[in-house]
Amino acid sequence: MKQAAENTPVVEMRNIKKSFGAVQALCGVDLVLHHNEVLGLVGDNAAGKSTLMKVLSGAYIPDGGDIFIEGEKAHLSNPLDARRLGIEMVYQDYALANNLDVAANVFMGREVVRIKLGPIGVMDYRHMEQETQSLLSRLKIDIPSVRQKVERLSGGQRQAVAIARATAFDAKVIIMDEPTAALSVSAIDKVLELVRELKAQGSSIIVISHRLEDIYQVSDRMIVLRQGRKVSDTSVEGDIHEFRERVVAYMIGARDDFTEKTVA
Amino acid sequence: MSFINDARKMLRENIREYGMFIALFIIMAVFAITTDGLFISSRNLVNLVNQTGYIAVLAVGMTLVIVIRHIDLSVGFLAGFLGAVAAIAMVSWHLPVWVVIPMTLVFGILGGLISSFLVAQLGIPAFVATLAGWLGYRGGLQLVTISTGTIVIPDEAFNAIGNAFIPDIPDIGILSGIHKVTLFLGLLAIISFTSGEIISRRKMQKNHFEVLSTGMFTLKLVFVSVLIGGIAWILAGYQGLSWTAVVVLIVVIVYDFITTKTVLGRHIYAVGGNPEAAELSGISVKKITHVVFGSMGMLSALSGILYAARLRSATTVAGTLFELDAIAAAFVGGVSAAGGVGKVMGSLIGALVMTSLTSGMNLMGIDISYQYIVRATVLATAVIFDVTTRKTGK
Repeated sequence: MKQAAENTPVVEMRNIKKSFGAVQALCGVDLVLHHNEVLGLVGDNAAGKSTLMKVLSGAYIPDGGDIFIEGEKAHLSNPLDARRLGIEMVYQDYALANNLDVAANVFMGREVVRIKLGPIGVMDYRHMEQETQSLLSRLKIDIPSVRQKVERLSGGQRQAVAIARATAFDAKVIIMDEPTAALSVSAIDKVLELVRELKAQGSSIIVISHRLEDIYQVSDRMIVLRQGRKVSDTSVEGDIHEFRERVVAYMIGARDDFTEKTVA
Repeated sequence: MSFINDARKMLRENIREYGMFIALFIIMAVFAITTDGLFISSRNLVNLVNQTGYIAVLAVGMTLVIVIRHIDLSVGFLAGFLGAVAAIAMVSWHLPVWVVIPMTLVFGILGGLISSFLVAQLGIPAFVATLAGWLGYRGGLQLVTISTGTIVIPDEAFNAIGNAFIPDIPDIGILSGIHKVTLFLGLLAIISFTSGEIISRRKMQKNHFEVLSTGMFTLKLVFVSVLIGGIAWILAGYQGLSWTAVVVLIVVIVYDFITTKTVLGRHIYAVGGNPEAAELSGISVKKITHVVFGSMGMLSALSGILYAARLRSATTVAGTLFELDAIAAAFVGGVSAAGGVGKVMGSLIGALVMTSLTSGMNLMGIDISYQYIVRATVLATAVIFDVTTRKTGK
């Protein structure tokens, strides 16, 4: 039983199409994410990777195609739908409220209520703080106090909080949009370590990145998009230089594994 | 030695919070000296509290409006207009006061929702939308008072809200001439504050959160207790707690509870801190905007009722510039113009600071033109203080 469930992909996107006016951003893309897999999503600017992930996270409604979450067909019409199905997105600009503390950000929009008086719910501070504390220790995230305001954290710590928030509620899939884009070198290493830690704890993750080193370090498999089409879907292996050359060749259109597929 | 270090550390870390208490304390001390104690006489302080009332309730609502990065300029004339509506309801429609007050509050909520409809639904900047409200309600106020001029309110129960005091128990031989119920309420406030603080400190210690050192904690309890006790004693020396003060206290306690303890409060601050993030987290920014402006409208109505009751009449210029006093009070009380930051209690203190300045300078016989300049300086200082402590607040 368990084996069968694990063989079903966590996410399967089939023939996803999306256009904005005359511009076709996605011309029928397929994507599969397996259990406990880190999938790197690569492509030049305007290749469609962010659009594809916004479709998966419910922010965009596709013009065509189907999405299956653990084998079940899913209808995602807004981010909340996706979230209910266990799809969590970590946004590039962290999407945190800097005026609130760490625990408040982790539980933002999902506050734990102690007493309910009609429309007024009294929050259970202690529970949320303890949960946040144990979440941070489980992910080995180093933040002095869950009562620290986010505005006093470094960029790397903020990204860690954003990722921790995505994992806090038994997410099936965590999508990270350029998780290292705004970070210093030492902070990047910490975030990549966090991605590996999440995988070790059984998460399924999609990472969008411009930095091929990041993809190489953390991903099991990689999909390259170019002009709204998938041009490569291979496992990440071999030497980094060879890997980089190969990826760049796909990105600029020198190589294409899916040419036989007709473009609508 | 460690006690002084603790004190320094606490002051440094909480300078933003304690700053306005210190400011209020200094202002009151200065006026107490320059007016030979007249300023802190029972009678003057009771008056001060009653004068602050109708601005304080507006400042509480304005705090939340500014926290979600908006502004509401319409509140002054909305208050004036609804005060006149309440007067007309009693005088011309002969409605009883217990119908008029809830009805006026509901009108206030509707007024607030008109603003939030423009702001949240149509995306009109709050400054413009509520400036239209400012004009409209001003017109409304003049229209409803055009035939009568000032409307005198004969209802004593209504006027009591702005002028009367809570009843006292009959004289029992001790403490005669002193308002015993007020003293008792003061004592009750001290006991509940102290026990609440001790319980929450124990809880925090049990969960290994950092707490104040025993010395500092005791000092804080003593300071607050003396403050509450002192105010209660002074008020009790005149006629005790006024109904206006009771109304303001209830508003502040309810709003303080909502903003600090409830999910709704958390969502308001989340929207203020990062509206996009809040929306992505499933918080409806529109809903929060409606709630905040609706509450602002209700508090405007309350302010209008307090003001009309205090004057025992609805005048043709009621509410003029209330909105700017409320905004100033909020900023002096530590609300940040950038949004997301500001406490209800702070705005109450801010309102007290601004009224104290007016009252104290009036007692000193300072010319009104200088009064405006002094108040301008205090407002600017408060905002400069806010900006600089934020930058160095690492």
